[in-house]
Amino acid sequence: MNDMLVEYAAGSLGAADRARVEEHLAGCADCRADLAGWAVLAEAAGTAAAPPGPDLVRGALLRGALSEPEPVTRRPAWFSLSLALAEARLVRVSVLVASALVMALGVVMASMPPAYDGWAGDVLALVAPVVAAAGVAGVYGPRRDPAYEVVAATPTSPRLILLTRIALVFAYDLVLAFAATGVVAAAGADPSGVWELIAAWLGPMALLSALSLVLVVWVGPDVALGVAVVLWSLRVLAGGVLVDVGGVLDVVRAAWSTNPATGLLAAGLVAVAVVFAGRGEPLRRSRATHLS
Amino acid sequence: MESDDAALLSRVARGDSGALTRLYQAHSGRLFGYLLRLAGDRMTAEEILQDTMLAVWRSASTYAGGSTVTTWLFGVARRQAYNRLRGTPPPSPSEPLDRADPAPGPDELAIAAAGGTPVASAIGELPDHHREVIGLVFVAGLPLAEVAAVLGVPLGTVKSRLHHARAAVARTLATQGVPE
Repeated sequence: MNDMLVEYAAGSLGAADRARVEEHLAGCADCRADLAGWAVLAEAAGTAAAPPGPDLVRGALLRGALSEPEPVTRRPAWFSLSLALAEARLVRVSVLVASALVMALGVVMASMPPAYDGWAGDVLALVAPVVAAAGVAGVYGPRRDPAYEVVAATPTSPRLILLTRIALVFAYDLVLAFAATGVVAAAGADPSGVWELIAAWLGPMALLSALSLVLVVWVGPDVALGVAVVLWSLRVLAGGVLVDVGGVLDVVRAAWSTNPATGLLAAGLVAVAVVFAGRGEPLRRSRATHLS
Repeated sequence: MESDDAALLSRVARGDSGALTRLYQAHSGRLFGYLLRLAGDRMTAEEILQDTMLAVWRSASTYAGGSTVTTWLFGVARRQAYNRLRGTPPPSPSEPLDRADPAPGPDELAIAAAGGTPVASAIGELPDHHREVIGLVFVAGLPLAEVAAVLGVPLGTVKSRLHHARAAVARTLATQGVPE
């Protein structure tokens, strides 16, 4: 009966229920008092002004015709492709040419008469990672990216853009490295076969590029490139020129191979970089306010 | 009535603007009353009502008959109201009743201009979710079960909000020395 009193006061009961409520009210003082309370509320709440006339509908239709229909929340199927094409135009040609030249130099060196067993693999393992790491170091940040501010103002997430770019640059470097491996293998410079050659450079290339990516997003391109080159030099020196201090060279040598650990580590570093990429600009160095 | 509404809505979905006008005329009184109670002033309520009609025009084809047309319309209106009112934080329920500034705010002035009473202004001070239930039950005149469907809460929650709202109004009136 309590709920029906509310609906009775609100006037939303059907005729049959109204009659039942009225019959009950006649003999129940408690319910009459309760109804009085609801009726006060209903009366005060119900003093609504008349609604606007049907002109309002015309206004709504006019607005609908003039404004865009609801914003597209689903991206078209070709969005990824068009994003990749648009980003490809922002990759500097000089970076592509320099990468190809360094890789060509690597092919020439690897094809030379081997100084020792596995010479060709070692040369590729030194060239491919540093090419990819240097390329990745140039993909992000206010100083290297000509479209940085435009990109920051578009609804596309900076993380997606970063992923697209590293995919483009890394794919290009991968193609170069595969081509170089093919040429070296075809020249017969290394007897161990194509797969051994690929395994020599694939892991280090992924790991060094991922490390470079984290640093470029977090600090900046100079530090990323610098650290990549230093690690690369350590690997070169691990060839035997330098005396190993504290096992550093052993660690570098272990990391410089293709195995599940280097793959996982690279994937983890990329994930960290993508998370960092959504958090504004890289750390500003003192140069941000330099006077010159 | 209900099947008429469903037929109108399916004509709206096919792009019949005359059907939209008829649907509006059938429901505008209740929708506007609810929105006015929710928004607090007439101009905002009219804007939300127009947003609502535009949303109905654009999304009529998404009505699948899972609820009554009335429930669906109030659901659309409620979403539009929250879209537009999102910027204004709901009044805190713990706000002390004897405020430092006793001058009437814009809500109270609007209610007074609409021929308001102390009870009406007490309703105006209720928190959003209480005002909303009052608007749906007493202004729009929806049955309690339908109110529960619009709000997406159990029937018991609607009832308890109603009782809390009534108690709060009674408390406000008592502190102002107005007999209920």
